Amino acid sequence: MKKCSITLYVNDKKHSLDVPVNRTLLQVLREDLAMTDVKYGCGAGECGACTVLIDGDTPILSCLTLAALADGKHITTVAGLEKDGKLHPVQQAFIDEGAIQCGYCTPGMVLKTVSFLAKNAAPTEEEIRKGLEGNICRCTGYEKIVKAVQQAAIKKEGGKV
Amino acid sequence: MSELSIVGKRIPKIDAKEKVCGRAVYAADLRFPGMLYGKIVRCWAHAHAKVTKLDLSEAAKVPGVIKVLGPGDVTRKTYNAGVLDLMVSEKMGKLLGDIEDQPIFTDHVKHQADGICGIIAETEEAAERAAEKIIVEYEPLPVYLTAEESKNPDAVQFSPLKPGNKAFELPEPAFPNNAYGWGDVDAGMEKADLIVEDTFYVPKQKQCQMEPHAYVAIYDDRGRLNCWTSTQMPKLVHAKLARLFELPMTRVKVNQTIVGGAFGARLGMIGEPQVCAMAMAIPGRHILVQYLREEDWVASESRHPGNYWMKIGFKKDGTPVALDAHFTSYKGGYYTQGSGVAFTTGAWLAGMYKYGAMRYRGDSYYTNQVPCGAYRGYGNPQTNFPLEQLVDRACNELKIDPVEWRKKWHKDVGDDGWCLGFKYPSCALTECLEKGAETIGWKEKRKKYAEQTGIKRRGIGVACMNHTSGAMPMLLEHTVVSVRLNEDASAEVILSCSDLGCGAHTALTQIAAETLGFPMEDVHLLTGNSDASGFDIGAHASRTTYVGGGAVIQACEDVKKQLLERAARYLETDVDSLVMEDKTIFVKDDPEKAVDAKTITTLGIVYVPDPETGKPEGDPGQIEAYASYLPPHNSPPFSACFVELEVDTETGELKLIEALTAYDIGRAIHPPSVEGQLDGGVQQGLGNVLTEETYYDKNGLCLNSNFTDYKMLGPSDMPKLTNILIEDPDPHGPYGAKSCGEEGIVPPNGAAANAVYNAIGIQIKEAPITPEKILKALKETKNF
Repeated sequence: MKKCSITLYVNDKKHSLDVPVNRTLLQVLREDLAMTDVKYGCGAGECGACTVLIDGDTPILSCLTLAALADGKHITTVAGLEKDGKLHPVQQAFIDEGAIQCGYCTPGMVLKTVSFLAKNAAPTEEEIRKGLEGNICRCTGYEKIVKAVQQAAIKKEGGKV
Repeated sequence: MSELSIVGKRIPKIDAKEKVCGRAVYAADLRFPGMLYGKIVRCWAHAHAKVTKLDLSEAAKVPGVIKVLGPGDVTRKTYNAGVLDLMVSEKMGKLLGDIEDQPIFTDHVKHQADGICGIIAETEEAAERAAEKIIVEYEPLPVYLTAEESKNPDAVQFSPLKPGNKAFELPEPAFPNNAYGWGDVDAGMEKADLIVEDTFYVPKQKQCQMEPHAYVAIYDDRGRLNCWTSTQMPKLVHAKLARLFELPMTRVKVNQTIVGGAFGARLGMIGEPQVCAMAMAIPGRHILVQYLREEDWVASESRHPGNYWMKIGFKKDGTPVALDAHFTSYKGGYYTQGSGVAFTTGAWLAGMYKYGAMRYRGDSYYTNQVPCGAYRGYGNPQTNFPLEQLVDRACNELKIDPVEWRKKWHKDVGDDGWCLGFKYPSCALTECLEKGAETIGWKEKRKKYAEQTGIKRRGIGVACMNHTSGAMPMLLEHTVVSVRLNEDASAEVILSCSDLGCGAHTALTQIAAETLGFPMEDVHLLTGNSDASGFDIGAHASRTTYVGGGAVIQACEDVKKQLLERAARYLETDVDSLVMEDKTIFVKDDPEKAVDAKTITTLGIVYVPDPETGKPEGDPGQIEAYASYLPPHNSPPFSACFVELEVDTETGELKLIEALTAYDIGRAIHPPSVEGQLDGGVQQGLGNVLTEETYYDKNGLCLNSNFTDYKMLGPSDMPKLTNILIEDPDPHGPYGAKSCGEEGIVPPNGAAANAVYNAIGIQIKEAPITPEKILKALKETKNF
């Protein structure tokens, strides 16, 4: 398979790689960079477990994104949210509200929430539920996840829910 | 009961931080130097076929391929992926007819994606390229998708041990007339004023745990087979692998990784035999096998679908004089847990209401779908759907309020539970029904909805549920816990109980800390090493907190007793005069007379002579205790579920409004986890009854093995969820707790179906109740 040279800035760290042109961003992150905080759930863009943020707070499905197309981009995985030993308010809200069960959807769910709250600081419950569509959780019935997003919105932006 | 300081508190789960930071290690996250990749090559084109030619030579030549394994290159021993054989006596196993009919790689494909060979390669890509070079030819066989088809006398036989393709029926010696129940059902029916009867269909639901199956294995240089897996049952998989590969148990180790959801999907073995066979073929190298989502879907076990006939006789006043039922399930291609669900489906029926007489028959037939195994509820959702609908049909005919009927006729304390002869020790179902009805506004809504006329019709339905906390006395319930106190009087609690994400390890840590009187941070649960911990059945039958908690209490009480006895000798006082607070042990009436717990534990471990006296102080030896625990009961929990929804009579579409669960928990050890179990259970239960089914085409090829075509309820589809926890401590459960793992999924099945009935006056007999089925039913009814 033909290869190409790319540079990725993952959680503010620069990586220069030669990757086959058909290699997905998910494969590069998990296999080549050992960033196993990004999860494989379906490989078809249906479950959201592989969600990462690109260039700030745009969520993308890394299983459907060719690594070559992410050349030069800044990528945030859930491991990049914790700063100076302090959890991101969204991470803290997920813990506080008991929104984590098996944890497999959690990295994608947290990143989706971060991106969502960046665009809508004071969402209604309906907006939160719509915003989470595309990220599947089979453990929680979404109830405590929705509560965590509400809590994070209040704490992060001082917004009202 | 005295006040509890840790049990019942809303503390963060012990595994929450590692999960929210992405640091929790699931099996597919493991990396080892020189790790190889394994791929199971599957038959995708046929659901039933003989392999007539298998040529692996071209695949073996692909660069990066280490080895290709056909059926003859691995042990020819067969196995049973289920575990019931390890939970009953050998005699009972024979009686039930458990068989081992699964090969590691097969030449008789019995369902789509049956594994035919394996590839081991340096990279995943090389393994995939090699898979394309496998030369295989098949002789297609007739495909059987229902019991009616496979029981045909001319049908191809799945196993010589199961003539007529009948995998199971309740065996005569244990179940006279192949039936479970009591009383004279035929005589009971004679006395009935009203008989309701129908045949229902319950669907093949998929667990859809978010972590697809993945495994790592190595046959190491000491001749030990090591397997990393997110199995629900590390100790039983350990025993099964030892048996399959004919190794002493000391030469096998199962490392349980973080479990990314299970719901029964990891009960027993799934891909462990294949990855371990690969490891045995290439000693000294780690091999990773990662299932693709589609593989997970079509090659690992699902819920048992089937036809469920039921007939109930009532007196005019609502007295249920007799119940007769027969559930025929479609087993799929292999036997696995053939005896389990066919029995329990009737057991949950027996545990629910006070029928004058009951007769349940259960059987299952091989079919060419992925085998059916364990799925949350284990037959209970299947029973809930027909039972609760027929009860409501009778209530409607007899003009009795469905909540009042259930309050009057549900089984209660002292009645036989699901295992006849085993009496209910606690039951708060009446309170569940009352509080649930009051909170959701049952009476007002029923009255209001009876007078609707518009296009959109609302409905509210109720259903009840009984389940269990562990599967004794039907199956073995055994958990071993060791507790050791370190020098600083912190406690290492060693056990093999699994946490499937539901919070069991948090709850068990709370129970240990509460019993020891230590803070949470002074208790560590050592889990996940099948060779370090004592026996444990594993996570099934909603048992972990109930049975594991009982075992933890027993071992911790022993340790605490030893600690206090040593302190009494150290303080030269009577043990009964001592109390411990903040890990200081002192005489109740003379608090100055005190010693730190860590002084006692250190003296036991660092047992050296005192330089002044020349003798060691204190008692020798590390304080340690162990419990090999068999619970005295199975303390069934109960619940009442209310579902409110709206039906669009023009399109058949359903909109969910609210689902309320009033739950008889005994005691909530970790309330957020209990609520989480109920919320998640309701999502799956509503899915089972309204949207979820794995479909096959006429050739037995799966049509919806993905999250787009298989519809689960998403965040916007979910109704408002309300949980009411009734805490009336059970006499046997740890701190009064009963189970909550499987139960949330059960009664939404009946409650949602009854809400549809309430909305449009029609009962839909085939689950899932899709808009198409509603529309069809409406068109067939003159009122619409």
